[in-house]
Amino acid sequence: MKSKADIKKYSKLLILAVFILVLTILKPKSFPTVGNISNVLWSISVVGILTSGTIFTLLLGGIDLSVGSLMGLSACITVLIIQKFGFSNQGVIIGILCALLIGILAGCFHGIVVTLCKVPAFLVTFATQSIFLGISQVLTNNKIISCLEPDLFTAIGLGRIGPFTFPIYLMIMIALISFYILNKTVLGRYVYAVGGNAEAAKNSGINDKTVSVLGYIFSGVTASIGGVVLASMTQQGMASTGSGYETDVITAAVVGGISLTGGEGKIQDAVIGAILVGLLNNGMNLAGVPSTHQGLIKGMVIVIAVAADAAGKYEPGFKLFKVKKGRKTG
Amino acid sequence: MSIILEAKNINKSFSGVKVLKDVHIEIAEGEVHALMGENGAGKSTLIKILTGAYTKDSGSILWEGKEVEIGNLRDCQSLGMACIYQELSVIPVLTTAQNIYLGREPKIGKTGFIDYKKMNKMTRELISKYEFPLNPTDMVSDLGIGLRQLIEILKGLSCDARLLIMDEPTASLSGKESEILFETIETLRNKGVSIIYISHRLEEVYRLADRLTVLRDGVNEALLTKEEIDPGKVIRLMIGKEVDESEGSAKKLVKNTNEVVIKVKNLTSRGKFEDINFEVRKGEILGFGGLIGAGRTELVRCIYGADRYTSGNIYIFGKKHVPGSTRKSIKKGFGFVPEDRRGEGFIPLLSVNKNTAITNYDLISKKLMAISSKEELEMCLSSIEKIDIRPKDPDKQVGLLSGGNQQKVVIGKWLMRELKVLIVDEPTAGIDVGAKEEIYRLLQALAKSGVVIILVSSDLQELLRISDRILIMRKGKIVKEFSEETVTQADILEAASGLRQEESE
Repeated sequence: MKSKADIKKYSKLLILAVFILVLTILKPKSFPTVGNISNVLWSISVVGILTSGTIFTLLLGGIDLSVGSLMGLSACITVLIIQKFGFSNQGVIIGILCALLIGILAGCFHGIVVTLCKVPAFLVTFATQSIFLGISQVLTNNKIISCLEPDLFTAIGLGRIGPFTFPIYLMIMIALISFYILNKTVLGRYVYAVGGNAEAAKNSGINDKTVSVLGYIFSGVTASIGGVVLASMTQQGMASTGSGYETDVITAAVVGGISLTGGEGKIQDAVIGAILVGLLNNGMNLAGVPSTHQGLIKGMVIVIAVAADAAGKYEPGFKLFKVKKGRKTG
Repeated sequence: MSIILEAKNINKSFSGVKVLKDVHIEIAEGEVHALMGENGAGKSTLIKILTGAYTKDSGSILWEGKEVEIGNLRDCQSLGMACIYQELSVIPVLTTAQNIYLGREPKIGKTGFIDYKKMNKMTRELISKYEFPLNPTDMVSDLGIGLRQLIEILKGLSCDARLLIMDEPTASLSGKESEILFETIETLRNKGVSIIYISHRLEEVYRLADRLTVLRDGVNEALLTKEEIDPGKVIRLMIGKEVDESEGSAKKLVKNTNEVVIKVKNLTSRGKFEDINFEVRKGEILGFGGLIGAGRTELVRCIYGADRYTSGNIYIFGKKHVPGSTRKSIKKGFGFVPEDRRGEGFIPLLSVNKNTAITNYDLISKKLMAISSKEELEMCLSSIEKIDIRPKDPDKQVGLLSGGNQQKVVIGKWLMRELKVLIVDEPTAGIDVGAKEEIYRLLQALAKSGVVIILVSSDLQELLRISDRILIMRKGKIVKEFSEETVTQADILEAASGLRQEESE
């Protein structure tokens, strides 16, 4: 019984190890090289940063589909401000602060509409996905804005400390903050409680609305950080900078076993999920899978992961109950 | 008078416990036959056997004198029985006619297109035959619960049902809606339709029933004809005399000199309860009795701050308290054990440890915002010790515990705080006898230490046993207060169902 639980606990790591092993055996010349590994980590970093924040909305039983276009908006705003300030360091700082502010505001908006107007998170963030993209297109006139200077800006995405680029460290830092909040603080406990049973949480004296709004703010902020990093990596800002990242983030979370119905999942597993998604992308590139086919494969991975997760839940003694809405009167 | 349905010597056990012992019931054509008994008397089990949801262990069911086997709901329908459940299954986005002919719509020739004209015409004929206040083309979403129920009845009649089973049909109806239902039932009876009528509301039974079968502890207690039905008699039969006398009460009567902890004045929540006034003294257990839907749960939820009230005031130690949020109430010393344990009481996926700590993070020290997991665990262990949660595993998911232990976790978290008022709503519903006793002892010990306990319970024995004083609510109002030691289950039942008032009127 104990060993079974242990396997379950480390199943994600096991899958990761198998995945790496398979890639190493299949592509011994191109996969396990320093250049490729650093490349993989680089692409993982952005997904990892986003997942560390979006996991809050998923744990709350919501979702944030707007992260991709919010990344684009943050990238555009940062780059536009840097341009406005004549590519000075001062512009970089103001640009980043504005991007973060956008992230906070977006999160506030999502949280308030979801909790106070009781609109499903899926719909709200589906709508803002298009709104954020639209704002970016208006701001940039739908053009690519390059930003090759100053060094302070390019260092965010391309700078190296030791063997790795800066975004890797940023991802580790944000994932650690997320881990700390979710596992050590009262807020983290409340997130799991509200996601697990909002009525019971309320009856226990938790302000479920505040907790939800904070969750969406985390998601918005990490999307903004991701946008800035991506803009710096590509040295440009455009409306479609982050498009498609929401799929990667949700894939990462789902592969990492985060329940989309809320209340269940660990940040460390989500990060492993992000690494798996990164490896999957890399593996497909190395194997020469054309980019036209990659979306298809990723979609299938989501379906398989969700199905496996759901199947696991019907194992006897695991989780056979659902939180009931509404109540009897007496 | 010909007998349409007869069930003889029905026996049924669940895991060795006999719930029905040689039960007998017979329904004549065109009669309203009331089936009465306390919770757990075996009414639902009997109905489930008649409708094929359960299989009987032994005994026979005769339909018009011929023995039949009812294995499932379809068998029951093809015989001509229809069951109207409390939870209605009409579809709001369809019309009355569409609901009645759902799944067996008349088609235009062999095309597969629905012949709506014919469907509406057939529905109209049905409606006029039984004189229902319905219209075939009305959207169900525009109709109240009462009319929706009539649609359900009509649906049964449209399949040529000759026997309707109604389980607590008025539980969620307003007075006016109930009146329409009663008229309908009388019309149906005149048309020769038989009805098995299950209700806790005695006054309805006296009005409608032609005959009455009383079950108690899975045994036929009595079969009464209309002339023999007498309010006091039925209550005595349901409760059983020996219980009536022995379970009198264990009142310990709180001294009037004790300090008033909570005072509620003119509290009203529109449509739920009205003009509620009461006060509770230190160390008192105040019980709320009444039928389902009397407004007790709504009242205590408002006092706790989980819901909002329209007007009135709550005072704690003489000072006005506005429960803006549950957090605010908790800070004032409130605790709350909700009625729907699984839906609102605990977080099933989280451990005992986290479910215990959830209300108490203000008592656990933090460093750099990080909760001291040592203190968290200590708190949980002390709760496990104090109220004997089994298994003694702080990491066990609460969703996997037994009902009694889940409830102990829900109560236990409040014991970690300095409580002034503990509100418990149906604290022992669905809990085994052993855990029940422990919870009673716990509540009594708490009261002894000075905590005010507000208890809502539909279990009369429980109410009598642990309350110092009992308030009876009916239709959103407090109608009676019992504080004398001589109060019996029959008194409570009479007050809750409104008999006593109607007699005096």
